[in-house]
Amino acid sequence: MRRRNIALTASAGVAAGALGLTSMTLPAGAQSPQLPQVSADELVASVMESDPPALAGRITVHNELGLPALPGAGEAGELLSGGDKSMRVWYDGQQRQRISMSNGSGETTVVDDGNTVWKWDSAERTVVKYSHGESSQGESGTKRPDAGTPAAPSEIAQPSEIAQRLVGKLRDTSTVQVDGTASVAGRDAYELVLTPKPNERTKLREVRIAVGAESRIPLRVEVNTNGSSDPALRAGFSELSTGEQDAELFQFTPPEDAKVRTPEKPEERSSAPSRQGSSDSGDDNRPRTEGTGWDTVVLSRLPENAMRSSAGDDEQSAPGAAEAGGTGVRAMAERMGSPVSGSWGHGWVINTSVGSAVLTSDGRVAAGAVPQQVLIEALRDS
Amino acid sequence: MTGTASRVELPSGVRQRASAPFGRVVGSELSWILHRPRNLLALLGLAVIPVLIGTVLAITGGPSGGTGLFSAVAGNGLVLPVLALMLTQNLLLPLITAMVAADGLAGEAANGTLRGLLLAPVGRVRLVVVKALGVLLMVVLAVGVVALSGVLTGLLIVGSDGLVTLSGTTLPLGEALGRVALATGWCAVQMAAVGAVALAISATTEHSLLVLIATVGGLIVFGVLEAIPALEWLKPIFITADWYSISDVLSDPIRWNDLVDGLWRAGCYMLVGFSAAVARMATKDT
Repeated sequence: MRRRNIALTASAGVAAGALGLTSMTLPAGAQSPQLPQVSADELVASVMESDPPALAGRITVHNELGLPALPGAGEAGELLSGGDKSMRVWYDGQQRQRISMSNGSGETTVVDDGNTVWKWDSAERTVVKYSHGESSQGESGTKRPDAGTPAAPSEIAQPSEIAQRLVGKLRDTSTVQVDGTASVAGRDAYELVLTPKPNERTKLREVRIAVGAESRIPLRVEVNTNGSSDPALRAGFSELSTGEQDAELFQFTPPEDAKVRTPEKPEERSSAPSRQGSSDSGDDNRPRTEGTGWDTVVLSRLPENAMRSSAGDDEQSAPGAAEAGGTGVRAMAERMGSPVSGSWGHGWVINTSVGSAVLTSDGRVAAGAVPQQVLIEALRDS
Repeated sequence: MTGTASRVELPSGVRQRASAPFGRVVGSELSWILHRPRNLLALLGLAVIPVLIGTVLAITGGPSGGTGLFSAVAGNGLVLPVLALMLTQNLLLPLITAMVAADGLAGEAANGTLRGLLLAPVGRVRLVVVKALGVLLMVVLAVGVVALSGVLTGLLIVGSDGLVTLSGTTLPLGEALGRVALATGWCAVQMAAVGAVALAISATTEHSLLVLIATVGGLIVFGVLEAIPALEWLKPIFITADWYSISDVLSDPIRWNDLVDGLWRAGCYMLVGFSAAVARMATKDT
């Protein structure tokens, strides 16, 4: 009798343990919270006004953009190249921040202490040090033509910026409405939904932004595309705690034996096109946009030398730039894209779930969140 | 009701008189484990591993660049114990744990000595507790030996006076040792979970080899299933799912998510394993 009781208790223990294990496979229960009604205008306004508070959190990026791996794009490329990524962020409410991203058993940490940006790479054991002015230049220099998708790392770090920019730009070409609520990182949030107006020729179906009901900061951004029920991109907090952060987090002292260097590549990249521009006649190299709203197409021209093969252009002023950007871009387009041709010329097109890009054989680039046909029209008109 | 109560009363009264003191039973089990030559040899072998890794890395200077903890060890000795734990916990530590668990019940059954234990005046739950404590002792010893040998090698051969974390911050020696202790404790909990399951298998069979095969084979199967993308949703129940995250103690601040998940999972496995072992022993015929 006693033994049977023991056996029964023990079986209950087995069942409890198995239950505990099963509970780990279930996604955290996220039912939509009940929140007071708010109009889209009010919500947008409150987002514009709110400043992100001091916070610590984890941002998870789920990416099915289907972009090819971009050579030389560094972190941006890594983030864009599909799959799930997560990074930890700290922000002190003013300007100092820290981002830490793990890859395998290594880690990349970026610390912005207000004056200097330190970027530590544990695999290489190197520290890259930008002083504040340079760093922003460097960032823009590393951006690729298609980094305009809302996934560039600097934008993820500041979800509020994405929302403010998107809302301001898209109000007249899209329907903006508050559609239900969500629970993000344990916080109640309103879902602000931007839907393109029917006459917009875009691959995107809608952009959903979850705005925290209390803090009024964007907590999650989802990009949905036509013909897919799963978001092509979802970037948002999976953990978030607000409040004063330890000041030590925003300081960085390079380890004793680490290599510390100041950036060369970003400078090279950002200065090369301008040098090119001054020697060439036109300002063709400057990216310009065609169309408005969702079917905006960015048109640009790669530096001349970029489209040639690297051999035999020693006399060119910036072979480094060609090495780093140009030939890489062309080789990539040939590898990843499919050839297209028409009255506008001949080139390669890369299609992704959120947009497409065309590189022509004479070095023109067109990209946008639009079907290929729209790009080709833009190229023909230009 | 009263009838059962009185029936229970009598034998328990009898047992009270004849029951061996719990402490002495545990003591004899532990000393039995510590005197078994293969256990001592296993510990010795484990102690050699970090020394070997450390020496090789010190001589060759370690790989330059590349991912993984290997590149982090160079000149940064206190990463070595964590690296050694990470390398051994996949197969070697579970193997040794399963070996002890196999000796505990299946081995005794094979020798015919388990029958004596079941007839002896020790409750069956107590018997499982004693055996589990024996496995736990061996787990703690094994993990501790790897960590200690790693720390000593790291300090003496690789050399360091602090720890450069994966996040690029430098920790003083004391805090660095705390991180190593954390990794050691975490690893011990994971191995204890493996031990509990091995003990449950051990209770069902009298072939020691079967326990080893089932335990280590199970871990390998988990590893294979983990690699199948379609089974991603199943991943949280694999005991091995978070084992790589032991290196998260080297982040600054520590990345707790996966470590805590791993502890919770290990706790569930321990509960399942221990309960199953008790259930089997309670219903076992003498």
